[in-house]
Amino acid sequence: MARFVIRRLLQSGAVLLGVTLVVFLLLQLVPGDPVRVALGTRFDPQTYEALRARAGLDRPLVVQYFSYLGRALTGDLGVSFRSGRPVTSIVLERLPATLSLAVTAVVFAMLVAFPLGILSAMRSGSLLDHAARVFSQFGVSVPDFWMGIMGILLFAGVLGWLPPSGYVALTEDPLRWASHVVLPAATVGLVTASILTRFIRSSMLEVLSEDYVRTAEAKGLRTRVVVLRHVLRNALIPVVTVVAVQLASLLGGVIVIEVLFAWPGIGRLTYDAVQARDYPVLQGAILLVAALFLLVNLLVDMLYARLDPRITAR
Amino acid sequence: MSGEGQLRRALSALRHDPLAVTGTAVLTLLVVVGVAGPWLAPAGVNEVNVDRMLEQPSWSHPFGTDELGRDVLSRVMVAARVSLQVGAVSVGIALLVGVGLGLFAGYYRGWLDNVLMRCMDVLFAFPVLLLAVAIVAVLGPGLLTAMIAIGVVYTPIFARVTRAGVLSVREQVFVRAAVSIGASDLRIMRRHVLPNIAAPLIVQTSLSLAFAILSEAALSFLGLGVQPPAPAWGRMLYDGRGFVTEAWWLGVFPGAAIFLTVLAFNLVGDALRDVLDPRQLTVSEARRSAG
Amino acid sequence: MSSTRFRLAGAALALMLGALTACTAGESVDVDGADSSGSGGILNAAIGGEPDQLDPHKTSAYYSFQVLENVYDTLVEPDANLDMQPSLATEWTTSDDQLVWTFTIREGVTFSDGSPLTSEDVVYSYNRIISEKLNAAYKFTTVKSVTAPDPTTVVITLTAPTPNLLANLGGFKGVAIVQKTNVESGAVTTKPVGSGPFAVGSYTSGDTIKLVRNDNYWSDKPKLDGVTFTFVKDPTVALQNLRGGEVHWTDNLPPQQVPALRDADGLTVRSVPSSDYWYLALNQARKPYDDVKVRRAVAFALDREAITKAAKFGLATVNQTAIPRNSAFYYDYAPFQRDPGQARQLLDQAGVSGLTMDLMVTSEYPETVTAAQVIAAQLKEVGITVKIRTLDFGQWLDEQGKGNFDSFMLGWLGNIDPDEFYYAQHHSGGTFNFHKYRNPTVDRLLDQARTETDQAARKRQYDQVAKQIVDDASYIYLYNPDVVQGWSPQVSGYEVRTDRAIRFRDVALAK
Repeated sequence: MARFVIRRLLQSGAVLLGVTLVVFLLLQLVPGDPVRVALGTRFDPQTYEALRARAGLDRPLVVQYFSYLGRALTGDLGVSFRSGRPVTSIVLERLPATLSLAVTAVVFAMLVAFPLGILSAMRSGSLLDHAARVFSQFGVSVPDFWMGIMGILLFAGVLGWLPPSGYVALTEDPLRWASHVVLPAATVGLVTASILTRFIRSSMLEVLSEDYVRTAEAKGLRTRVVVLRHVLRNALIPVVTVVAVQLASLLGGVIVIEVLFAWPGIGRLTYDAVQARDYPVLQGAILLVAALFLLVNLLVDMLYARLDPRITAR
Repeated sequence: MSGEGQLRRALSALRHDPLAVTGTAVLTLLVVVGVAGPWLAPAGVNEVNVDRMLEQPSWSHPFGTDELGRDVLSRVMVAARVSLQVGAVSVGIALLVGVGLGLFAGYYRGWLDNVLMRCMDVLFAFPVLLLAVAIVAVLGPGLLTAMIAIGVVYTPIFARVTRAGVLSVREQVFVRAAVSIGASDLRIMRRHVLPNIAAPLIVQTSLSLAFAILSEAALSFLGLGVQPPAPAWGRMLYDGRGFVTEAWWLGVFPGAAIFLTVLAFNLVGDALRDVLDPRQLTVSEARRSAG
Repeated sequence: MSSTRFRLAGAALALMLGALTACTAGESVDVDGADSSGSGGILNAAIGGEPDQLDPHKTSAYYSFQVLENVYDTLVEPDANLDMQPSLATEWTTSDDQLVWTFTIREGVTFSDGSPLTSEDVVYSYNRIISEKLNAAYKFTTVKSVTAPDPTTVVITLTAPTPNLLANLGGFKGVAIVQKTNVESGAVTTKPVGSGPFAVGSYTSGDTIKLVRNDNYWSDKPKLDGVTFTFVKDPTVALQNLRGGEVHWTDNLPPQQVPALRDADGLTVRSVPSSDYWYLALNQARKPYDDVKVRRAVAFALDREAITKAAKFGLATVNQTAIPRNSAFYYDYAPFQRDPGQARQLLDQAGVSGLTMDLMVTSEYPETVTAAQVIAAQLKEVGITVKIRTLDFGQWLDEQGKGNFDSFMLGWLGNIDPDEFYYAQHHSGGTFNFHKYRNPTVDRLLDQARTETDQAARKRQYDQVAKQIVDDASYIYLYNPDVVQGWSPQVSGYEVRTDRAIRFRDVALAK
């Protein structure tokens, strides 16, 4: 176990190093002078020189990278070209909004996917099973931003039940937060739910077909007991991974939904940074998201290794 | 089992799966529209007529008109070409680069494998759309950069699938036999390895086309993809977003076009996977990040 | 999506946002039952985007000025007719040679943190703009020195008579009086300290800026407890929020819905003509656009009504000159009516056929992208193929600066004095003459009018300038957009201003 943990830690560290390199190179690939382009109309020589020096653009590439890396390790991701504020605090400010949306969406998805996935696996071939498969195919194929637009039209426009967009912090007013989070979370959650449903169903089916389940059934245990005692526990182990991976990618991957619903999270920050050509913020946001993603994956692997000792032997 | 045998099985399976048949039919229609769109369309895509803006669907404009009085049906039809083109080119890039890297990594193993696959891990650490947005941000928005960005983003999937396939094929008797008679590495890869890993690649290609089209729509919806006046479904939703409350047709039709296209690729991809690749590649991971 | 983001000054656009209206403007406001001395509630305002930063001298975004309008003061400020009125300066005198201006600074003014605002702060602010070459520096080109002989006196010495000095010193909050300690600590970018009616309370990036009433304000205390600015990019959403009561005021309304909204109950939607103008410029350093016949052909090929309808849904006035109808300097001249025949004839005379024209627009201002598609359709009819090039604004400015374009469309926002409308754009040595227009007569007139102190003579000179520029099709002027804003019936005392200044000082909110 310890060896496995150390190996995974080293691996993640190496990947993270690669991530910083990619993120660093993004700025170098900008055609022309990134500071000049970012400043645009606001160009003034002092700000320009200050930003260039701060971004270290006047030094050799290798030096730049290692100083970027060194500063990143101490939590310094540079300053925004746009506002002059430290990138670290800009990015961290957006984390709660993204976190609350991602968690809500995953909870929503689980509430839908578990009953649907389990039932459709237990009654494979039934009408419910077919409905579940249609649902998941729909969810995987529909553009989430289109669902979002349609949701806004229906629930905020025609019916007027929910606010069309906007954000209230959970800590500020939980009720208003809830009313704002419903639409975006449901939109994101729908896609996640259809992926989970698929996965739970096939995972269940796999376990159901294994020998010990058949044995248990043959011994006369009622199906429900079998399901609860044996199948669910074994089927859920891989599902844990999928849920966690979904959560991890939601933490940085819902740009379109955050833009559509004016949700001030990491995704919208990224979009705004792209629009404003605010490269340091873009770099910071991407770095944070990738680091989070790696961290969650690492934790999942460890968890997985505990749940299923065979893994470490791999 | 040989590559050709698998293909034959796949085709016959497609014929017998009603969903796959539907998907194939939709795709055929799409390709026809994509190729012949400009000739089939009832009106020019850039025929501006400000006196007829935001007209609801009628016989002369079955999908209504947009905010510049252009025929939405014609634009939806011509935009099919853009979507298919982006899908084909970007997946083509991903396929070429990814398969190449995967082949070398899997065949030679060792440090090359390690380095290449760690690079792929790095790319995998970014959510798909986020990485695509970042690349477009650097290169500037447009059709070409969108295709490159999406291609880069989907490369690691192909590299991984290929490598996994190569690893299992590599130790098989016919490959060893080829090595023992002194066949060159390239020849072995081309003649013996590639045909035997074709199945998962075909499945992955079909599914990736769906995601690529979805990603392009998302990029265009953010205003980072195809630039006006060229029509693209995502861009049409972006431009029409401000008008959907009074002109629902601007939101419904381009969105439905994306949905149907992606659905068709997914149906075909799923059907192919059921026959060709029972090991089930993780399609879900890719899909999630597409949004 | 159709929200237009206004970028200011420095390099391409002069955005001169007006200050508060004259000090007396708010006194007639009577709010039914609302307690004007406090507990006036928090007004929620939805604006189309987020300020880039809150340093008034460095920001370039219109969004910043929407907020800062309520936080800062200037020496003088434009009233509803854009005439300059006293603000921080109570009075001023001009020397006989027009080269020395002496301002008397209002006594007892403090910044929102309670520290006094004196003539030293004025000197510091202006010198900061000038020496650091900040956005508004070009407004001080004739300023030789700014001094403070005593705490209530500021003396500005000029190198040449500058009849529009007041407009330069008060036209918008980019020339606001800032606090030295606030600037030097760096806090000014997120927590600026001004002397205006409100002070910045908190700033949640990506979401809101909350202003609280400045109890140290030197004039009548604001009735509101505070103003919360929320950033809502999508106008449809802003409208829905306004209808739902979450938002009390917005300037980000879907243009196509405005005519219906104006007649609808429950909301107040007002529009006034703005002093902005949008135009098409052809690059005269490139062939064949150096030929006036080609430029006039383009002017004759355009249907301005259609362009305006598409770009602004009629919320604009078609104009073939720059200065809008409601200005004292308006010059009624419209020689170009859509005439494809004449356009083709002019092209023939110029020996041009099968022309492909590059048209550079920017996603920063979506109306340019929309209008470009209509322009392309219209020019196609006279045989000109338009290739639309959509860039983000940074790149766009870069290309403009390098002269890498056949043509571009853009607007100038918030100009007040005619010098601002013409000099930098059309003088052969003008800072913003990127399209390389050169006409010695226009140069001479512009130089002359710049220092002309006789208003009638000045108007005549600018009329000549306007006519010549239109005839030469230096800029092909398209329209002056309206300023459109909407608010809930709870809001009283608000007025839409032609210079787009958003002023909440005199506003009250009924419960």
